[in-house]
Amino acid sequence: MKRIVEFTVNGEPSEMTVDACCSLLDALRDDVGLTGTKKGCDVGDCGACTVIVDGQPVNACLMLAVEAEGRTVETIEGLQPGVDVLHPLQDAFMRHGASQCGFCTPGILMMAKKLLDDNPNPTDEDIRFGLSGNICRCTGYTKIFDAIKSAAREMEAARS
Amino acid sequence: MNVTTPIEQRDFKIVGKSVKREDVVEKVTGEAQYTGDIKLPGMLHGKIKRAAIAHARIKSIDVSKALAYPGVKAVLTHENVPRVLHYGSPHPRSASCTKDQYILDDKVRFWGEGVAAVAAISEEIADEALDLIEVEYEALPAVFEPEDAVLPDAPLIHDVGPGGNLVLDPVRVNRGDIEAGFAEADFVLEGTFSGGRPHPAYMEPNVCIADWDGTNKLTFWTSTQTSFMVRGILAEVLGLPLTKVRVLVDHMGGGFGAKQDCFQHEFLCALLAKETRRPVKMEFTRHETFIAGRARHPCRIWLKQGFKNDGTLVARDMKLVYDSGAYGSHGPGVTIVGTSAATSLYRCENVRLEGRCVYTNTPINGAFRGYGVVQSYYALDIQMDEAAERLGMDPAELKLKNVVRAGDIAPSGHPILGHGLEICLQHGLDVLDWKSLRNRDRTPDPKRPHMRKGWGIGCEMHGSSAYPGIKEQGNATVKMNEDGTVTLLTGAAGLGTGAHTALAQIVAEELGVRFEDVGVIHGDTDVVPWDIGAFASHTTYLVGTAAKMAAGKVRTAVLERAAMKLQVAVEEIDLSEGRIFVIAEPGRFMTVAEAMGPSRGIPAANIVGNGTYQPTKSYSFAVHFTEVDVDTETGLVEVKRVVPVHDVGRVIHPIAAQGQIEGGIQQGIGHTLTEDYVIDKKTGRSLNAGLVDYKMPLSMDMPDIETIILEAAPDPGGPWGAKGVGEDPIIAIGPSIANAIHDAIGVRFHHYPITPEDILKALREKGA
Repeated sequence: MKRIVEFTVNGEPSEMTVDACCSLLDALRDDVGLTGTKKGCDVGDCGACTVIVDGQPVNACLMLAVEAEGRTVETIEGLQPGVDVLHPLQDAFMRHGASQCGFCTPGILMMAKKLLDDNPNPTDEDIRFGLSGNICRCTGYTKIFDAIKSAAREMEAARS
Repeated sequence: MNVTTPIEQRDFKIVGKSVKREDVVEKVTGEAQYTGDIKLPGMLHGKIKRAAIAHARIKSIDVSKALAYPGVKAVLTHENVPRVLHYGSPHPRSASCTKDQYILDDKVRFWGEGVAAVAAISEEIADEALDLIEVEYEALPAVFEPEDAVLPDAPLIHDVGPGGNLVLDPVRVNRGDIEAGFAEADFVLEGTFSGGRPHPAYMEPNVCIADWDGTNKLTFWTSTQTSFMVRGILAEVLGLPLTKVRVLVDHMGGGFGAKQDCFQHEFLCALLAKETRRPVKMEFTRHETFIAGRARHPCRIWLKQGFKNDGTLVARDMKLVYDSGAYGSHGPGVTIVGTSAATSLYRCENVRLEGRCVYTNTPINGAFRGYGVVQSYYALDIQMDEAAERLGMDPAELKLKNVVRAGDIAPSGHPILGHGLEICLQHGLDVLDWKSLRNRDRTPDPKRPHMRKGWGIGCEMHGSSAYPGIKEQGNATVKMNEDGTVTLLTGAAGLGTGAHTALAQIVAEELGVRFEDVGVIHGDTDVVPWDIGAFASHTTYLVGTAAKMAAGKVRTAVLERAAMKLQVAVEEIDLSEGRIFVIAEPGRFMTVAEAMGPSRGIPAANIVGNGTYQPTKSYSFAVHFTEVDVDTETGLVEVKRVVPVHDVGRVIHPIAAQGQIEGGIQQGIGHTLTEDYVIDKKTGRSLNAGLVDYKMPLSMDMPDIETIILEAAPDPGGPWGAKGVGEDPIIAIGPSIANAIHDAIGVRFHHYPITPEDILKALREKGA
């Protein structure tokens, strides 16, 4: 049976019509048309589908779409603060070569955003731990660590 | 190395700079379109019924219930698909493939092989329909290990090929006089080595979409490294001219070599779409990415080498057996490349090599970064460390004495250019102050005496291009637009390495225009020039040179046009930073846009340049220095620090090159310590086909990596001396870890992965 789910996605009130068994990931990709969130495993192992729901990072493949009722979902498509303006993390990922094939990038960016929102000055260990649920198979993570540290510094400078 | 002209030097404006990648804004905003993101009107979903038996004949297959299931639009079995014996790897012009596959057969050769396919209106319905297909099997005896498969009474897996479950006739390489070499030796080392079955585990599961139009033309989106090869094999098997198959691939989520194969699901997707006259998408689950993807060939190696007391290598005798799994795929190529690689790395004049590749009833092994060489150099490099130990020498000293140098014959049969390997090794020894490292304390923390520290060195070399297995050809087309911007058309795939950015940099540099003014068109076989595919670490070297040639032709044509407009001889002008100026009076100039645009009596220009390049091969070199901590209580090995020193010739994009090295190290650490796709030896079932049970190094596991890139031995065959870098790191890291473990705890391991259980067992045996 189909259900209508009302929720907020990237700041916009939205609705989707989904089967009760449909994951938030499939609903976002197929019904809402937000394909930036990727499906790398569909069983919660890889983190490519990381989105932020009511401020908490979530593997969208492990959450039912109907559970999003009344909640606020942030995806990679909402990370840019404005048209033609990139989030400092996006800019840092580009400069540092933190994205190769790019398939893990949306999930890692959302996890990194959450990390910096909670902890604006993370240590190296904080970053490593924060990304422990996100698989990247291209970069060896080194450039991703560099990019997150760099973005943290820039965001700190912008605040002061 | 087939070009003997000296390497052109210039004051580089774009090459050598880490410009913003042309594909990266889309990737950080989520706009980048991957094949799985595409949704066509009326699209159906395809799923494959997979055999739950490793070796069997299909006695009967009943699809009536599946066909009757609401929402199911088509079911295919071996009874209603074309029966065309086709290649397992899509390189039909090369020696590196074998014809042993049907789209669907009445025989099953491994657990998980597809036996039927369904198209339905949703993935769920397609999945449910699979359970309604009834297959009756006649079980056949199965073999899961190469040594069992070559026994005289072993069940035959294929009717084709040389027989005895061999994929190809044994590959033999002989140089010098092996008997005379051993006769000269003061001592001989002999050992057996083995490697597991690491999986590429790219983040994007295999996916394709097929759509036929009213003219019987197939449009085919697929995540592939080799779009023209897919076009060719689809056309051949489906009996279509190449004009009727269009292959499209925009962004792809990694491949690491394994997405250059002929996958069964690609044929089935095309046929389901043809049958239903609707677009069909087929997307692997992560589980299918393991069982129906391609892994590295497990191998067994026997290696015997003779040494003189001064450390000179006088004889090398080596036998390699690669496990191909149920089909040939890249087995022939891997066997040829991996075996012949052992002629080199460390100098030896008397060499006898024999490589075999054997069918087993296990999932298919294919191309994967390092292509057979990971296995053979693991053995060579570890035995070199053992020889040093026997001689009481520093392994660095012994390796430095024996590494190949300029003029030595490479595996390709050509003399090596430059002293890349020696320079990398010496540079690392100097930077790390290796001698003092050797003498330091192995238990630096007296409070934790169970923690042992070790350092190891791993050396490697790897060719850019698949020559001589494949005589390669790189192509590029460059168009100068009337506003002075440039369009590069290339068939080279964008796996995620940044290859398109490097190609655009080369074109901008050669043309004297800004990097931002070069647009890259790729991934459409109806539009771009023919391409062999992105593999063999060759895109920058091969297609980069073709792009430079094409850009050079455009530059000449633009200068000729400007000379006409400026009314000077073409020799009197030059082009730099988008301006064409008279050399003697730099104030007299016109922009490229002005030269290209129309003026009175002269229409706008149409300037197109093509570049075609057919190289042999260059070799890149690397030495990895690796520090490990070994916990002798738990057996856990932690890689703490890696200093990879690479010679890649001219560096086009430093950050992208570093990214290749660091990512290769990540995969190589996994191969060496934790990653092994395990097949049950009784049934042939996959035991860990998922990302939790298949253990890859993640963010918490990565060491500090201090990448050093030297432009030690540029090769005139590549653009301004550039060579490949993609595969080198994954080859060097493995033996460096194994050697470091020995340095830490005094135990030699000849296999990978080296697990905590292996460490504890070895320590127990050593203590006993």
